[in-house]
Amino acid sequence: MERPARAPIAHALVIGAGIAGMQAALDIANSGYPVTLVEKLPSIGGRMAQLSETFPTLDCAQCILTPRTVEVGRHPNIHLITYAEVEDIQGEPGHFRARIRRRAAGVRWDICTGCGACIEKCPTRVPSDFDMGLGRRKAIYTLSPQAVPNKPVIDKEHCRYFTQGKCRVCEKVCPTGAIAYDQEDELLEIEAGAIILATGYELYDVTRLGEYGAGQVPDVISGLAFERLLSASGPTAGKIRRPSDGREPKEVVFVQCAGSRDPEKAMPYCSTICCMYTAKHAMLYRHRVPDGQAYVFYIDIRTAGRRYEEFLQRAVEEDRVLYLRGKVSRIFRDGEKVVVWGADTLSGQQVEIAADMVVLATAIVPRPETRRLAEMLGIEVDAHGFLREANPNLAPVSTCRPGVFIAGTAVGPRDIPETVAQASAAAAKVLSLFARWQLEPEVEYAGQS
Amino acid sequence: MPAKAKAHRIGLFVCHCGLNIAGTVDIPQVLDAFRDEPGVLVSVDYKYMCSEPGQELIRRKIAEEKLDGVVVAACSPTMHEATFRRNAESAGLNPYRVEIANIREQVSWVHAKDPDAATRKAIEVIRTIIEKVRYDEELLPFTLPVVRRALVIGGGIAGIQAALDIAAAGFPVLLVEREARLGGRMAQLSGTYFNFESAGDLLAQKLEALRARPEITVLTESEVESLNGYVGNFTVRIRRRGEDQPREESVGAIVVATGFDLYPLERLPEYGAGAVPDVISGLEMEAMLRPDGPTGGRILRPSDGRPPREVVFVQCAGSRDPQHAMPYCSKICCMYTAKQARLFRRQCPDGQAYVFYIDIRSGGKGAEEFVQAAMEEERVLYLRGKVSRIFRDGDKVMVWGADTLSGQQVEIAADLVVLATAVVPRQDARELAQRLRVGTDMHGFFNEAHPKLRPVESLTAGIYLAGAAQGPKDIPETLSQAGAAAAKVLSLFSRHELVQEPTIAWVDPELCSACQLCVPACPYEARRPHPWKPVVTVNAALCQGCGACAMVCPNKASKLRNYTPEQVLAMVDVLFAPAKAQEGT
Ligand SMILES: Cc1cc2nc3c(=O)[nH]c(=O)nc-3n(C[C@H](O)[C@H](O)[C@H](O)COP(=O)(O)OP(=O)(O)OC[C@H]3O[C@@H](n4cnc5c(N)ncnc54)[C@H](O)[C@@H]3O)c2cc1C
Ligand SMILES: Cc1cc2nc3c(=O)[nH]c(=O)nc-3n(C[C@H](O)[C@H](O)[C@H](O)COP(=O)(O)OP(=O)(O)OC[C@H]3O[C@@H](n4cnc5c(N)ncnc54)[C@H](O)[C@@H]3O)c2cc1C
Ligand code: SF4
Ligand code: SF4
Ligand code: SF4
Ligand code: SF4
Repeated sequence: MERPARAPIAHALVIGAGIAGMQAALDIANSGYPVTLVEKLPSIGGRMAQLSETFPTLDCAQCILTPRTVEVGRHPNIHLITYAEVEDIQGEPGHFRARIRRRAAGVRWDICTGCGACIEKCPTRVPSDFDMGLGRRKAIYTLSPQAVPNKPVIDKEHCRYFTQGKCRVCEKVCPTGAIAYDQEDELLEIEAGAIILATGYELYDVTRLGEYGAGQVPDVISGLAFERLLSASGPTAGKIRRPSDGREPKEVVFVQCAGSRDPEKAMPYCSTICCMYTAKHAMLYRHRVPDGQAYVFYIDIRTAGRRYEEFLQRAVEEDRVLYLRGKVSRIFRDGEKVVVWGADTLSGQQVEIAADMVVLATAIVPRPETRRLAEMLGIEVDAHGFLREANPNLAPVSTCRPGVFIAGTAVGPRDIPETVAQASAAAAKVLSLFARWQLEPEVEYAGQS
Repeated sequence: MPAKAKAHRIGLFVCHCGLNIAGTVDIPQVLDAFRDEPGVLVSVDYKYMCSEPGQELIRRKIAEEKLDGVVVAACSPTMHEATFRRNAESAGLNPYRVEIANIREQVSWVHAKDPDAATRKAIEVIRTIIEKVRYDEELLPFTLPVVRRALVIGGGIAGIQAALDIAAAGFPVLLVEREARLGGRMAQLSGTYFNFESAGDLLAQKLEALRARPEITVLTESEVESLNGYVGNFTVRIRRRGEDQPREESVGAIVVATGFDLYPLERLPEYGAGAVPDVISGLEMEAMLRPDGPTGGRILRPSDGRPPREVVFVQCAGSRDPQHAMPYCSKICCMYTAKQARLFRRQCPDGQAYVFYIDIRSGGKGAEEFVQAAMEEERVLYLRGKVSRIFRDGDKVMVWGADTLSGQQVEIAADLVVLATAVVPRQDARELAQRLRVGTDMHGFFNEAHPKLRPVESLTAGIYLAGAAQGPKDIPETLSQAGAAAAKVLSLFSRHELVQEPTIAWVDPELCSACQLCVPACPYEARRPHPWKPVVTVNAALCQGCGACAMVCPNKASKLRNYTPEQVLAMVDVLFAPAKAQEGT
């Protein structure tokens, strides 16, 4: 291979600022190397920012996440570019060039103070994706009050000025004159020696689970939506209220493996985290609604690893969550109730539960953009679109391309601790490369063991 | 009697922590209680004080009101003391004038059922911390040099990978392994579950990479005998078997990668284990499946050396059994059982493999598909149920169990039974932990600093964890963790110096009588009599500020910075006379 004339660049590009991307960026930045961290959404934190409390310690997700987001936001070695996407990557290890498109926020972040006056006064309300459609946000918005950066963006699809040509309320109330409706997308070019992909996961589209009534029955929601109901900063301020009529549900059925372990109709793999988060959901529901009843339908309960089985036992013994082994065949609306039909494979009987609300533990699936990025970088994805490791047994964070590393749920379903460990491992690969380059700038950078 | 107050312009910042605090503690009432507190210029609340707007609020108030002390009433100081101190420092306030009043873990969470009492207690906790801040000195942290060389304890796949990643960055590594060979459990395995790759070949690749690294020194048949020092500057004593003199080495960071043991078969008598020769552990099965193993890769019964045709695999042997054995799930055995059952069926196409399970735990990418293939391609029969007894019957091993799906009793006359015995900590893990001054859980697995966000750090700075020593895990997860531990070491080594907290003990030479009671009291060996003066000295690098010395000193000569007797008395006084106006402010 021909060697580039210039010394390799000890600068990392991390794509995706969920807990994986943030951890990788921090490990590299704390070792003194510059990092560019690109996030698609207006602020960082990824899915973890949407969670209420985390298993098995029941730490509030926000409480343990905010110090990290704040640290990332203020780190002198981290160049954070949010509301942006990587459009193109060229070059080779040591000398990648990435073109990044930063979307026009409609707000000049350099002078915005994050006071929130615009958000308060904006007259347009739209369903919030961050709240999984259970709450509403304004047309000018931040993802949450703890957002980093805490600067708003204008949703041009809904903003009255953009759709109807009049309003401009935010412009009027902004004390610093930061609103800039005519702002344009910005194109940035950055150079990096190594890249970490950490683009995370999506949930299987529940509306594709027709037999579960999802999409038609309003009180059938996804696990992530249930996290928003549990969250103190969520749409119900942490009170469990069902979407249809705002009443407190007294019987909740949790259905595991919704879209997972179903090679015929959905995903063949097990999403590995939903057994644990369902146990958490059922437990937290029982804490919030002490006279409520929680049922869980499962095939196998997968609470593998240290402290997890014990957590499940607590849900069963202390919080009296009723576990039913079996498959749910149909979920439908019947007046005010949501009826769940299933089979209890242990007793061999059919069960019918007239519930108030149903929570589906929907499968973890890769994000479609991950495949596009992989193609751009010339690395592989598996049949579903998860990033492929150089060797699944031996090289869990490397790819077939030197200088390109992977971490977190973009590689496969996993929980936060495993994601964090993997992200640090990817950072270690980058750090050893960079350190080598400094010791022996002419060294070939393919060698990773 | 109280010393002169040092902070006169204190700001109080009360955090709601969403509903975590505000759901129980009446925040307006708390703020009211300090409206007219002398020396407290600001008292404000915010939903999440640790968020950027919360921090910005604190910075702004420090600047506007020229605050010289800050009390943040929020969660435990272990969560965010560092965050708030750093934040205040960036606004120009000495960080040691920032204190946390813990009104979450110690108030709202424990008194959730009695909001009135919780509110009163929150006020009292805050009141005492305000007293402390009044007398806090402005301190300066000091720096210590870092020895940029790492010690890795344990030469299994975790230790090997950690050593490789550290050495790849050019830093020297000392790899200490107790046995004569490197490789740990992986050297005992046949294949891995993904793609049935040979564990031996994979390991050989790693060992070759290891040999190619001149930075790595391997010490086999060696163990760590003692550890002294602190992050950046540890001194370890390593003894090699058969040698009289231990060698002493200095290192800046340590990775603990001592792996796991298996639950002893003898402790599972109902499974005939230990008594019936044809009841073996999963690891013994691996040995038979290994081409370079004692049977040359053939599965043969220990009793008569014949190939078995009916093999029963029993999962969760010693796991998930809080009454009799280990309460946790060992995480890896569902997968390796499927692997072994498949390999057996490939070797013996007309044989039958049965697996007794409670739940099949094959989570994550590719794992479920692997188990499905065992059922569909190799026709492994999975039976959901518990095995009640295993015993010898002539040539056969009888397995009695219940199939909880059909509700029927099953009886299988098998040729061989393989128990997936629980993953347990190394027998001497607790002892090693004590020597290293790191914590373990009730079973003996090494404890991480935070189960979510700090999975590879121990609570002792400079000591990191990798692999199964921290809890059951398979090879890919072990490798990630080992890489992560290496990343922490590399971050540490990217600096030439470390910052040390100044909140440590010092000796007032005027008061010290050189009685030396404090010397043995210090658990960190930080205290030493002065070579010639009649006083005791403190090694600032070793002192952890625990205060044990201050407790035993009869002369009150040993003091902790910013935790002086005067401060503690002032804190207690205010608790018992809350209404009394403060003096000296
Ligand atoms: C209902 C539910 C409950 C859960 N509860 C727990 C729990 O209690 N404990 C636990 O340990 N785990 C839990 N998890 C799992 C946890 O959410 C994940 O392990 C973790 O969030 C994964 O982090 P990540 O960084 O890999 O991915 P993400 O959080 O998905 O982050 C990826 C980031 O990349 C960004 N991104 C994507 N594409 C691009 C692009 N092209 N360019 C730039 N940026 C991009 C995304 O916007 C996002 O911010 C739960 C999951 C669910 C669904
Ligand atoms: C039957 C069985 C089958 C398995 N099959 C698979 C599989 O197919 N795929 C897979 O991914 N995983 C499999 N595993 C899991 C795999 O073995 C572990 O993930 C892996 O070995 C963990 O590596 P480790 O380095 O953490 O620990 P270990 O392999 O236990 O290594 C620890 C090392 O530290 C040394 N040591 C211990 N104490 C000290 C001390 N005080 N001082 C110095 N040295 C010390 C030990 O001698 C050992 O060499 C299997 C496990 C079992 C039991
Ligand atoms: S009103 Fe102006 S300064 Fe305030 S948040 Fe909106 S854009 Fe920023
Ligand atoms: S983790 Fe549990 S709920 Fe999720 S797919 Fe796997 S078995 Fe089903
Ligand atoms: S400061 Fe502590 S209590 Fe307040 S929000 Fe942050 S984590 Fe929660
Ligand atoms: S991994 Fe499977 S066999 Fe092992 S303890 Fe857990 S459930 Fe039992």
